[in-house]
Amino acid sequence: MTNLQSLDFYWPELILTGVIVLAIILDLLLDKKDSGKVGWVLILGLITVALAIYIQDGSKTTTLFMDSIVLDPFASFFKMLVILATIFVSVVSWHSGELTEYRKGEYFTLLGIVVLGLFLMVSAVDLVMVYLSIEVVSIMSFILAGYLKQNTRSNEAGLKYVVYGAFSSGIMLFGISILYGLAGSTNYFEVQQAVVDLDETANAALVMALVMILAGFGYKVSAVPFHFWTPDVYEGAPITITAYLSVAPKAGALAMMIRFFNQVLADGGAMTGIEGVSMTNMPWPEILALLAVITMSLGNLVAIQQNNLKRMLAYSSIAHAGYMLLALPVMSTQGVYAVMIYLVMYLFMNLGAFFVVIAVKNKTGGETFDDYRGLGWEMPLVGVVMTIFMVSLTGLPPTAGFIGKFYIFAALVKGGPQFYYLVILAGINSVVSLYYYLRVVKVMFLEGERSETILQPPAVMMGMLLLTAIPTVLFGIYWSPIANWIQHSLTFFIQTI
Amino acid sequence: MMEPYFIHFSLLILFLPLAAFVVQIFFGKHLPRQGDWVSVGAVVITLVLSLIMFVTMLFGHDSGFTEEASFTWLDMGAFSIQLGFLIDNITIIMLVVVALISTCSHVFSLQYMAGDIRYSRYYAYLGLFTFSMNGIVLANNLISMYMSWELVGVSSYLLIGHWFEKDTAADAGKKAFLTNRVGDIGFFIGIMLLYTSIGSFMFGDIFTGVAAGKIAGTTLTLAGIGLFMGAMGKSSQFPLHIWLPDAMEGPTPVSALMHAATMVAAGVYMSVRLFPLFTPDALLVVAYVGGFTALFAASIAVTQTDIKKVLAYSTVSQLGYMILAVGTGVYTAAFFHLLTHAMFKANLFYGSGSVIHAMHHALHKKHDHNTDPQDMRNMGGFKDKMPVTYWTMLISTLAIAGVPLFSGFLSKDAILAGTLAFAQHHPAHLLLPVFGFGAAALTAFYMFRLMFLTFHGAPQMPELIDDIHESPKEMTGPLVLLASLSVFIFYTLPYVNPLSDHGWFTDLVVAGNSFVPGNIPAHEIAEHAHDAHYTAMYISVAVAFFGIALAVLMYLGKVFSAENWAKSAGRLYDWSRNKYYFDENYDRFLYQPFFRLANKVAWLDWDLYDKYFINGFGRFTDWLSRVTGRFDYEGIDQGLVDGTGRIIDYLGSAFRKLQTGRLQNYLLYVTASLIILTIIQAF
Amino acid sequence: MGILSLLIWLPILGMVTIAFIPRKYEKYIKITAAVATGIQLLLSLVLWQRFDAGIGTMQFMERLEWIPSFNIAYILGIDGLSLPMVILTALLCFICVFVSWNISKAVKGYFALFLLLDTGIIGVFLSLDFFLFYVFWEVMLLPMYFLIGIWGGPQREYAAIKFFLYTLFGSVLMLVGILGLYFSCGKTFDIPELMRIAPEALQGVVWWGMSGIKVIWVLLFIGFAIKVPVFPFHTWLPLAHVEAPTAISVILAGILLKLGVYGILRINYGLMPDGVYWFSGALAFLGLINVIWGGLCALAQTDLKKLVAYSSVNHMGYALIGMAAVIAAGAANGTNFKAAQAGIGGAVFQMFNHGTISAMLFILVGVIYERAHHRDIDGFGGLASQMPVYAGITAVAFFAGLGLPGLSGFISEAMCFIGAFPVYRGIVIASTIGILLNAAYFLWAFQRIFFGELNEKYNKLPEINRLELFTVVPLLVITIFFGIYPAPYLDIIARTMDMIINSVVSLSTFAGM
Repeated sequence: MTNLQSLDFYWPELILTGVIVLAIILDLLLDKKDSGKVGWVLILGLITVALAIYIQDGSKTTTLFMDSIVLDPFASFFKMLVILATIFVSVVSWHSGELTEYRKGEYFTLLGIVVLGLFLMVSAVDLVMVYLSIEVVSIMSFILAGYLKQNTRSNEAGLKYVVYGAFSSGIMLFGISILYGLAGSTNYFEVQQAVVDLDETANAALVMALVMILAGFGYKVSAVPFHFWTPDVYEGAPITITAYLSVAPKAGALAMMIRFFNQVLADGGAMTGIEGVSMTNMPWPEILALLAVITMSLGNLVAIQQNNLKRMLAYSSIAHAGYMLLALPVMSTQGVYAVMIYLVMYLFMNLGAFFVVIAVKNKTGGETFDDYRGLGWEMPLVGVVMTIFMVSLTGLPPTAGFIGKFYIFAALVKGGPQFYYLVILAGINSVVSLYYYLRVVKVMFLEGERSETILQPPAVMMGMLLLTAIPTVLFGIYWSPIANWIQHSLTFFIQTI
Repeated sequence: MMEPYFIHFSLLILFLPLAAFVVQIFFGKHLPRQGDWVSVGAVVITLVLSLIMFVTMLFGHDSGFTEEASFTWLDMGAFSIQLGFLIDNITIIMLVVVALISTCSHVFSLQYMAGDIRYSRYYAYLGLFTFSMNGIVLANNLISMYMSWELVGVSSYLLIGHWFEKDTAADAGKKAFLTNRVGDIGFFIGIMLLYTSIGSFMFGDIFTGVAAGKIAGTTLTLAGIGLFMGAMGKSSQFPLHIWLPDAMEGPTPVSALMHAATMVAAGVYMSVRLFPLFTPDALLVVAYVGGFTALFAASIAVTQTDIKKVLAYSTVSQLGYMILAVGTGVYTAAFFHLLTHAMFKANLFYGSGSVIHAMHHALHKKHDHNTDPQDMRNMGGFKDKMPVTYWTMLISTLAIAGVPLFSGFLSKDAILAGTLAFAQHHPAHLLLPVFGFGAAALTAFYMFRLMFLTFHGAPQMPELIDDIHESPKEMTGPLVLLASLSVFIFYTLPYVNPLSDHGWFTDLVVAGNSFVPGNIPAHEIAEHAHDAHYTAMYISVAVAFFGIALAVLMYLGKVFSAENWAKSAGRLYDWSRNKYYFDENYDRFLYQPFFRLANKVAWLDWDLYDKYFINGFGRFTDWLSRVTGRFDYEGIDQGLVDGTGRIIDYLGSAFRKLQTGRLQNYLLYVTASLIILTIIQAF
Repeated sequence: MGILSLLIWLPILGMVTIAFIPRKYEKYIKITAAVATGIQLLLSLVLWQRFDAGIGTMQFMERLEWIPSFNIAYILGIDGLSLPMVILTALLCFICVFVSWNISKAVKGYFALFLLLDTGIIGVFLSLDFFLFYVFWEVMLLPMYFLIGIWGGPQREYAAIKFFLYTLFGSVLMLVGILGLYFSCGKTFDIPELMRIAPEALQGVVWWGMSGIKVIWVLLFIGFAIKVPVFPFHTWLPLAHVEAPTAISVILAGILLKLGVYGILRINYGLMPDGVYWFSGALAFLGLINVIWGGLCALAQTDLKKLVAYSSVNHMGYALIGMAAVIAAGAANGTNFKAAQAGIGGAVFQMFNHGTISAMLFILVGVIYERAHHRDIDGFGGLASQMPVYAGITAVAFFAGLGLPGLSGFISEAMCFIGAFPVYRGIVIASTIGILLNAAYFLWAFQRIFFGELNEKYNKLPEINRLELFTVVPLLVITIFFGIYPAPYLDIIARTMDMIINSVVSLSTFAGM
């Protein structure tokens, strides 16, 4: 479809762009102390965008801008997810103690741009667009990570992020160009075609290309061994941003990976409801499985050692990335389904956990376990909510986290005996993870005595906590709506060969 | 004759004592006289009832009389258990014995236990015992017999440990229970063997099953031996005899009731009941255990100085006799001896009780709490001080020694005759009668030794002698009664022939054939015994008088001194004096190793398995996480080969001022892992 | 809403109510808990009264759509296997409210969590949807963690986390097994449905080159075995039991251990009868180890509570042996239905009896701990003369524990032995040593605590009080009643046991093994 025609289907993004521009202008007019108002623009804007997507989405699937991006329910699903996360984070950002002495205008603007980048990411079907979207998201994230100018940790985080991001996207670009050299195209469907009738001699080159591209993806989902930026950046960045990074870009990247692996390296069977088949003779599913296992194991193991909640959650988010990656090698609809439902559940529980960290930091100014000692007795509600999140992250019923894991496990078991060992490993991992998640609960409740005065976080903060906690429990008990939504979003734009 | 009301009587006999027990436990303390009249009343009624049954039986003249009633206790469809009563002559006689001795003990205790801190408890437990003992007697199936069996064990545990402030008493109780449990394990295995092959717990079904050959050969032998193990436990047969002497820690009336007359006889009673299913091999085991125990225990009794200990070992020995009789096939003789023995042995215990009672008071007057009131070496010359006790005990002694005109002579003679006959037909087993007669000689000796040391000669503690008084009539009453019941006449009626056991008993209790195919029919056994009768009689009388004579010469006439004999006996004397060091060796080779094992296992479980293996997982994870953590961080410097590391340093030195220096390493690490992945992919 | 749902959700209702009561009204919080559990107890008795013992199949079934997209439904039902357990749970929970009446620390939280735990347990016993079953199974963990971790003894944190990790490990394997069943049996979690389908559907299923039945069996078995606890997985138990507050020890020993046995009977036996044939030998052997090992450990303990804890290991061993007996009904073993019924009936009876007896024991331990503030067996002495009533009750409890005839424990143990004997002669004979061990450790402990000269330290020790009597006497009565007249219990379970036996016997072809 030509660019001009495409615009008819592109107005959610167009609205978003308008919102961003509006935000920038407004930011210029407002003075520092009420620059937070820009947030309203963003939030309202995002809500309209959401509406737009909702209206537009009639399970219509087509490609836009000369096959560089697609429009399909799958993409819309992820867009919604991103919007939800962004709104949550924006609201909390108003009440995060760290940000008070900074202008928030740019902050919200940048968030808006990240959203735009993620929109592109989740719908990209062209290697160039993939690269482009990754860059957009990354560069904005760099700035956001280093947003706390006075805070050296934050600056360091920003800089590390820059260098690391630049490096990996460089490698990815290199890989992309090799692939282009082999396939003579950057469009997924053509590349897929080319991969099919590629002869043995080119294998080595293909391998190089794929591995390098994998590096790019791995960096975005922070999969081992491309995760090294994660702990530092997560620890240094403003908690709101950490929360955001741990959810939204992950979601985008996973969407991207699902598309790439199923439509370039497999026959896209997973996208038409049948078992997919790898189109090349190289063991990329095994590689992915290996990465997934290493990722979750390392994430969990290292998390045990952390004494800083933020850092612990950083590693835990690595682990969760690992769980989700497990579902990719299966190349089945169930696998995709599992990743999607996991992401929904993950969004609530992980954001919630970070929000608690914010609330506690606002109160105690710290993020280490000592700052949580006896919290359950001083702020019972926060304690209970945090417990819910921890239990959910561990993946115990009746919480959302369990449902996510349940679907992943189910997809693997369904996938056949060659995946059973993955299930066992994942299971053992969640047992390990229980140890450090419960450690939070332990310091909150088992240590420290009951206090006479009971504290409460400010109303809005509490509201956000409940807004994340209630779904975490609710979706653990009744998730049919989610399930149906995903079922309905499992339609892809696909060009079978 | 059909006497359906027997069932109702039996129900009363069974449950009245239980009711007394319940009342005593809950209200005993608050009742007048601490409710002793409740218990006494209950047992007296049971005595009356069982006597009515007894008399009916006597005039029924029906040796084959049986009355049975059962009800379904639990039923799952295929698996079900019936419980019920089996009443025949043996049952009735046994009921009378239990009720009679129990009544005596209740009455005797009125004085003997007066002012005890747990007076009502004591009576409660007596009630519990009477209940469970009757349970054994009335059982018509293995389950309810086993259940009552264990309950008897408990009541003995409670009564032996009645004065639990004394550690010895508490220990003795525990020892009794545990030793019995060892036997009970055998009992239970026997039950399982029978049930598995026959599919029923009822005696009747089991016998028919055996007769039908549903279970035979080794299995049946093992089953028999298993059941007999239970008997060994209760009747304290070697090597499970160790608990009975210690059980004398309990109050003397208890010793008389349980550890002389009834409870310990339960084993014999059971083997009599189940005799028809013992195979010849099993019976042989029974015979040897019994015979050996008889001699072995007697040889210990000879040197004991504690009056109750002597009687305890004498009991073990006498029970050995009965078991021997069962083993040699003359099980009616065994039951006969059970009957007579119950009377004179209970009497002896009451007598000793009365003596101890007297000693106790005398010592109490002298505020002497160190001298042992039970040690015969502190007695002597009580004959005139307590004539009733003396004469009654003398009669019982003559009875147990097997002197004609007394009950013991008849029953013992029957047993020895049976044994002799058995040996005549199985010359290989000559040892059995030797055990028998040997034990008889020793019995006569040590019993008279006891009499002489206690009642004759000069008082060993003259200062006491003035305070020694005859016991009150609550205590002497039972003595007189039981002593008179040790006269032959009560057992030979309606005939009066002191030399033959022929009488109502032999008329009513007639041995039945064994159900084990191929066992010698009862009438043959009876004939053999009859043939051996006179020979046995002469020998037994001879050995009895030999024993008595020896005692007279040694302790009355002082013709030869016991000390010198003891010295010349040397090692033998020590062994006997120290009960062949059984307790010591059990302790050394059984209990201690066992506890060591337990501690070892506990240590293994807690300090090794759990601490190191299970927690090992935790530690391993922790260690792993440390390692990965380091590897994930600083480790990366070393993670790559030093060479590259140095190059990085060189390259990165420019950046270093700005940076921590880690970053480049990440990048390098990424490149490295890319290379690695590529290599993996390539192959 | 059916009576079963009512049973499950009543405690939750109580919990919510408690959540709204300000924490300073401790009395009302306790009363609320008492009322909730009390009504639950009444309901369970009503259930018993309306239960038709004549049929072995599920009764009072309830079925609701839940997550149709995954064939997950809300299915409840009760049969002879679960009814006694439900009654036991209701009873013990009610009693435990009073056992914990004197809790002073964070009363509100305690009872809220307690009621949540109650729901979890009842839920497991009643749910007939495997997913629901698993959810309830896990729901129990967190409250238990808090109850041990906050209100427990000195080592509470260690005990709590250890319990949690141990159990979670098991349930993760269980989850894998559940999913395996789900996908190899026509995508359903409906347990009655699975009971129908699974035996055939699993034939020829292969995991890792092994028979799927074996693998799934083992995965589920480990999950349940940890709860029982079966020998190599038992070490969480002494720790948790010792550190937990009295009421929670009671729940642990009285009910949680039964969940393991229940799970094995309901799931492993119900869904994989072939596996029973394959595994029962191991089951009996593990039972033997439990009996001996637990007995020896108990004998060596100096901490009374730990002794009781190990006695649980020992007692559950009998149940395992009894369960193994079910194959006696097989043709290969002479279709000995008597033995099969005796064995499995004994096992299920033993579950209940151990539930009441161990509960009693733990309450009694709690009583003495309240007064003496220690549990060192050798630290007492002569208490029988100081607190005779307490001594008497303890004596009965101990005698029940050592399987004295006339008390319920004896019958179930005897049935387990009698049932297993034809098939596992050697094992049974070896495990009769347990009879001796039980007597040894209980009597020895009893002597050291109650006999001998009164320890002067304790000549002021008060006698057991009314509240404590109120908690222990009902259990005492039950123990004695079933000891004298077990028929009512066995009537309830008999038909269901037949169902289990028949499924094992009729479907046991060694195909696919």
